[in-house]
Amino acid sequence: MSVPVSQMWTVATYVLGQRLRGNTRYPLVLMLEPLFRCNLACAGCGKIQYPGHVLRKHLSVEQCLAAVEECGAPMVSIPGGEPLMYPEIGRLVKELVARRKYVYLCTNAILLKEKLEAGLFTPSKYLSFSVHMDGLKQEHDEAVCRDGVFDQAVEGMKEALRRGFRVTTNTTLFDNASPIRMQMFFDEMMDLGVEGMMLSPGYSYSKAPDQEHFLRRQKTNELFSKMLENPKKRWKFNQSPLFLQFLMGKQDFECTPWGNPTYNLFGWQRPCYLLQEGYAPTFKELMETTRWEEYGRKSGNDKCQDCMVHCGHEPTAVNHTFTSWKGFRDTVAATVTGRL
Amino acid sequence: MSEEKSLEGWTPEISDAATLAEVVDRAFDYRGDVTVVLQDGRELIGYLFNRNRDVAEPFVQMFEREGSGPSSVPYARIRAIRFTGKDTAAGNSYAAWLRGKEAAKAASSPPGA
Repeated sequence: MSVPVSQMWTVATYVLGQRLRGNTRYPLVLMLEPLFRCNLACAGCGKIQYPGHVLRKHLSVEQCLAAVEECGAPMVSIPGGEPLMYPEIGRLVKELVARRKYVYLCTNAILLKEKLEAGLFTPSKYLSFSVHMDGLKQEHDEAVCRDGVFDQAVEGMKEALRRGFRVTTNTTLFDNASPIRMQMFFDEMMDLGVEGMMLSPGYSYSKAPDQEHFLRRQKTNELFSKMLENPKKRWKFNQSPLFLQFLMGKQDFECTPWGNPTYNLFGWQRPCYLLQEGYAPTFKELMETTRWEEYGRKSGNDKCQDCMVHCGHEPTAVNHTFTSWKGFRDTVAATVTGRL
Repeated sequence: MSEEKSLEGWTPEISDAATLAEVVDRAFDYRGDVTVVLQDGRELIGYLFNRNRDVAEPFVQMFEREGSGPSSVPYARIRAIRFTGKDTAAGNSYAAWLRGKEAAKAASSPPGA
């Protein structure tokens, strides 16, 4: 695991604090979407299909900060849309860092070099560029439906690393992923010098253009088992090892849909980052009025049966680490030995 | 690719409250602008992004095409909803990209290869 100690400590104390106060439902990562606009139209993405006038809108920095305060999660992930297209991304990140939030700016990195050269960001332990990389050059360019994006992203990552920024990658896997090619991808990312990698199977958004290649549960287990069976020591993952074990079929976790709540132009999204079943005007209302029992695999909800996505299951893994001896022991063992 | 038929151009008849609720749900799921016709004949054109039936006065929320929004409209004020805007999720960008890739590959292959 490559998560910095200070970040682990922040998360651990936050989780334990919530438990001591008797809270069973609390957010870990706020998914803050300041805009839906993107400079790509990826095959597996269901986030950007809106009329032009909606795509031209975005949240104000003040709206974003109010959501961050209201939610209280120690980590803020800024996806979108493409956050580097958000006109006030520099100010937003600066404000979040000042509030000591661990920020993952999820970007396709097409604009990263340009924004870094413009001096928009300052290196900080609180800021990490989480670059969307869906595999080696061929696989990535295919996933984002545009040739040359892999090279642009690598150029942006190199520039960020050269300037002393934290850089991680986030990879979504579909059923056409090759375990061997993915292992080559891990090597390439480590050679580049990224701090760690995040992996997740894709979710079959009903609005995504490509509906054919989403992973079902058993296939997810098979793919991740093959890919991570003998992980190299040098591969660093910026996520819970228990979540990776879950993807391999070695852990059985239920979804924690409130773990990564989503805020965007429409409000607080019910029930999770992936499903859009309505919006609440406040975080409190989201937490108190969403019928959480209707979501997750055990609920029988069809939309949740094959979902193993990080935004619902990584919070479960993190909670398991900090609230059970077995979870803690398994996490320490995986971290120390590098075995999953 | 999804075989689900787009609702673009759909102009459903609303005969009772149950049908209105159903049409609102479809409009909520629709990724294009709709035209909401009010009981007084006024028309609101925009993106309907939310609806809530679990309150005393059920309402929809939309961003009007012209205007900053969002605005709320009670169900009781809605006479009809027409699916007038382009369905942005009905595009086939992935299929088109794949076709383009195949065409480029074929064009760069030597004849007879």
